[in-house]
Amino acid sequence: MVLPESLKFIGSTLSWTLRAGCLAHLIHEYVYEFTETRGESMLPTLQAQNDYVHAFKKHRLGRDLNIGDCIVAIKPSDPEHRVCKRITGMPGDMILVDPSSSSPLTNSHNECISNDGFNKYIRVPEGHVWVTGDNLCHSLDSRSYSVLPMALIRGKIVAANSLNKGFRNPETGKFWFWNLRWIENSFVSEKI
Amino acid sequence: MPSFSQLPIGIRTTIVTLTWFPVLYTFTNHIYQPFQINGMSMSPTFNPNTSNTSKDIVLVQKFNVKKPGSLNKGDIILFHSPLDPEKLVTKRIQGMQGETINTQSPPYPRPEARIPRNHLWVEGDNAFHSIDSNSFGAISQALVVGKVIGVIWPLARFGVDLS
Repeated sequence: MVLPESLKFIGSTLSWTLRAGCLAHLIHEYVYEFTETRGESMLPTLQAQNDYVHAFKKHRLGRDLNIGDCIVAIKPSDPEHRVCKRITGMPGDMILVDPSSSSPLTNSHNECISNDGFNKYIRVPEGHVWVTGDNLCHSLDSRSYSVLPMALIRGKIVAANSLNKGFRNPETGKFWFWNLRWIENSFVSEKI
Repeated sequence: MPSFSQLPIGIRTTIVTLTWFPVLYTFTNHIYQPFQINGMSMSPTFNPNTSNTSKDIVLVQKFNVKKPGSLNKGDIILFHSPLDPEKLVTKRIQGMQGETINTQSPPYPRPEARIPRNHLWVEGDNAFHSIDSNSFGAISQALVVGKVIGVIWPLARFGVDLS
């Protein structure tokens, strides 16, 4: 049986679309991703709206990451959402969970008692990291869902763009490519 | 530079074959994948023989496993070990979110555990040789990679009842 030319053309177009789509998907999953982020938890590093981040996927599963790195991970309490946080504790580190939530300076007496569990040290277990948002006052992070398994990490954020900011900086007139900026490791080791 | 159709037929076939690899890889990542079971923590369901070292190969379903409510108690799942992100392990779901579980204590520090939202309690069928939720606690459903739907090798045990 000989297929007419038009059917052959449709078939080959579909097959090349499938192959190209799968290749793009694999690059997205294993090499590089550019996605939107929302929410106040990473202010002032990332805006609450209109910010897009560049993520390197070779750091998925927590590979080759360090304290102070910005990461994208799947939320442990909700597999359909992703979070963007900074690593603030590596396996084996001792972490003071959140002393402010039981401090009498900002909380009522009853809140201090009910939040007493936050004022304690824990050790981050093997294969996990401790993550917090840069905006501690408005971030849902390890302080509420506890340690994050490294297997949920999808990549490391290396740069960000604000797509509402235009090609040139309106104040100086210089090119700034939608406010492209590198996101670097913010950890400073204290000299003893 | 010669055009594609001028290349030798062998090289042309190789290039066209290579373009199908992303499709194959995406299929095994998101639809179905065969997976070889190591170790005896799921014995006698998998790797029942102690006399030889043959390893079962199972078929793992990759779609519809992370959505809340997509898994049931009794399902055997493949997931990333919380203790080692590079390691994949198979265990059976023994408890869903919101339930209270009677744990094996020790190793679990308390006799009872309440399972948090979108978490699962997993145990090996061979409790004596299994590092499971009794050691590392309930696991997030986001760690799940797939659901085991049947044994495909050895052929003698093809499609054996997993429940």
